[in-house]
Amino acid sequence: MGVIITPAMVGQVVISGLLAGALYSMVALGLALIFGVMRVINVAHGTILMLGAYTTFWWFQLLGINPYLSLLVSMPLMFLLGVFLQRSMVHRVVDAPELSSLLLTFGISIALVNVTQYAFSSDVRSVEFLTGSFLVGPLALSKSRLVSFAFAVGLTLFAFWFLQKTKLGKAIRATSQSREVAMVCGVNVQRIHLYAFGMASALAAAGGSLVAVVVAIQPEMGQVYTFKSFLVIVLGGAGNYPGALLGGMLLGLVEQLSSLFLTTQVSEAVAYVLLVLVLLLRPTGLLGGRST
Amino acid sequence: MKRAFIAALGVLLVALALYPITATGYGIRFMLQLFMWVALAQSWNLISGLTGYVSFGHVAFFGTGAYATGILVATHGWHWMPASLMGGVAGAILALIIGYPCLRLKGPYFAISMLGLNEVMRVLVSYFEGLTGGGSGLSLPALHASVQIYYATGLAAVAVTATAFLIITSRFGLRLMTIREDEVAAEAMGIDTARYKLYAFLLSAFVPGVVGGLQARDQGYIEPMAVFPLLTTITMIVMALFGGKGTVWGPALGAVTLFVFQELVWARFLYLHQVLFGAIIIVVVLLMPRGILGILQQRFQLPRTI
Repeated sequence: MGVIITPAMVGQVVISGLLAGALYSMVALGLALIFGVMRVINVAHGTILMLGAYTTFWWFQLLGINPYLSLLVSMPLMFLLGVFLQRSMVHRVVDAPELSSLLLTFGISIALVNVTQYAFSSDVRSVEFLTGSFLVGPLALSKSRLVSFAFAVGLTLFAFWFLQKTKLGKAIRATSQSREVAMVCGVNVQRIHLYAFGMASALAAAGGSLVAVVVAIQPEMGQVYTFKSFLVIVLGGAGNYPGALLGGMLLGLVEQLSSLFLTTQVSEAVAYVLLVLVLLLRPTGLLGGRST
Repeated sequence: MKRAFIAALGVLLVALALYPITATGYGIRFMLQLFMWVALAQSWNLISGLTGYVSFGHVAFFGTGAYATGILVATHGWHWMPASLMGGVAGAILALIIGYPCLRLKGPYFAISMLGLNEVMRVLVSYFEGLTGGGSGLSLPALHASVQIYYATGLAAVAVTATAFLIITSRFGLRLMTIREDEVAAEAMGIDTARYKLYAFLLSAFVPGVVGGLQARDQGYIEPMAVFPLLTTITMIVMALFGGKGTVWGPALGAVTLFVFQELVWARFLYLHQVLFGAIIIVVVLLMPRGILGILQQRFQLPRTI
């Protein structure tokens, strides 16, 4: 194509990649939690992200308060939704073959998306907040992306601290290592499943709230994030929580770098090619996951 | 019982063969779509119902077949009949390329890789504009051949059902079902699991390719978003599951029931029909994971493979 690539362009895409990657990491950490604890692939993960995004949109639209404060609403709301979904339906397919959980969560997803379309229409909407960029030398850093990045990093670190240090976090990790042993040690596994689904949904909701400030939203936006989260947890090793971080950053970078050389559409395919390659060469992920 | 069933089946086939004489345009189109869903649900069942490997991107073969046929007809002036057979061949070749490495993946990993394959195919088709027309789609020359395509699609549905019957009642089918129940045990018994999984995968990819080609010809226009939708994969899975996966007649039964239901009911709920579809999926998965035939089998102690 004869495009000249300058160092500034490379710096720009690396930064964009890291900014996007932190969000991917946080959202995918949620999916990894559910997969780690229950061996369930939650196809509705992106849909919950979308609902979080709409929560922020309406918060900002109706109340006009700083959209980042809406995290305090969207995260608990989606935590409750997650607990409800787990309690009412998903718990019944935890031990079933993967087909059941894939289909069930797809069914939940399509129903929620359709209800959202019905309620809020399919119009594309956006939160006009913190527009513009900081100019650092030759680089342009979008303000809203930077703030969203900071929130994503903060929440991810908090989630890790929670998993590492608190009693509940330890119980979650124990359950994902071995459900039977955790049970023997007195962990109420059913409750852990509820918390894991709730926490995962809260992380997805946070992702949605942060995304809503950065890009336009619409009811079908979730599927892309579901697919990307699949990619991230496969890259990092399914059920491996630090792996989700690495995978997210890697996905962000690969997407942005390949967009230097290829059209946007094809750079999406690059991510999937990467997925299939990782699955074939290192099915347990880059950091080593757990086989099923 | 068995003879009565065969006789009824014969009468049904003759009736379907004679149907176009009296049918309206809408009737032909309706039945053509019905045949398509029977063929798709049956072919998904060949790999996923029998071996337990969930093909979560089966529509990739449908779309590949549609494009292979579309290109042969539109650019190279082929007749649609050989072209749609080549669509099937294209589906099988794709299955060979992707199945050889991916069928080693277990459980959810295989499902995700198939989902990825479908996305990759859609992007590739959009990218190679010179060949496929890219995002603006590919138009086929006008042709009124609904009745012929009705027969061709019907033939595909009958052929894949017959194939399912032959497989399930053979040693090959037993091998596949052994893989589904316990792959390690299957290997220990000396079954070359990699080879039989690949055979099943090739068979299950051929028919969606043909059907995709026939649809491309019938619609006269294809574009990437229309021939690679995840929803089509899900629909064929739900149909197979609703009737009873891993059986000969289950996918056909599920396809007929759900398709007729869709035409009669969903059209009236234009805005909320996806909520209904979601609800059906949830109910089928939670309450009848073995499908209609599964319930009948339990109640009347029928063989598990009918």
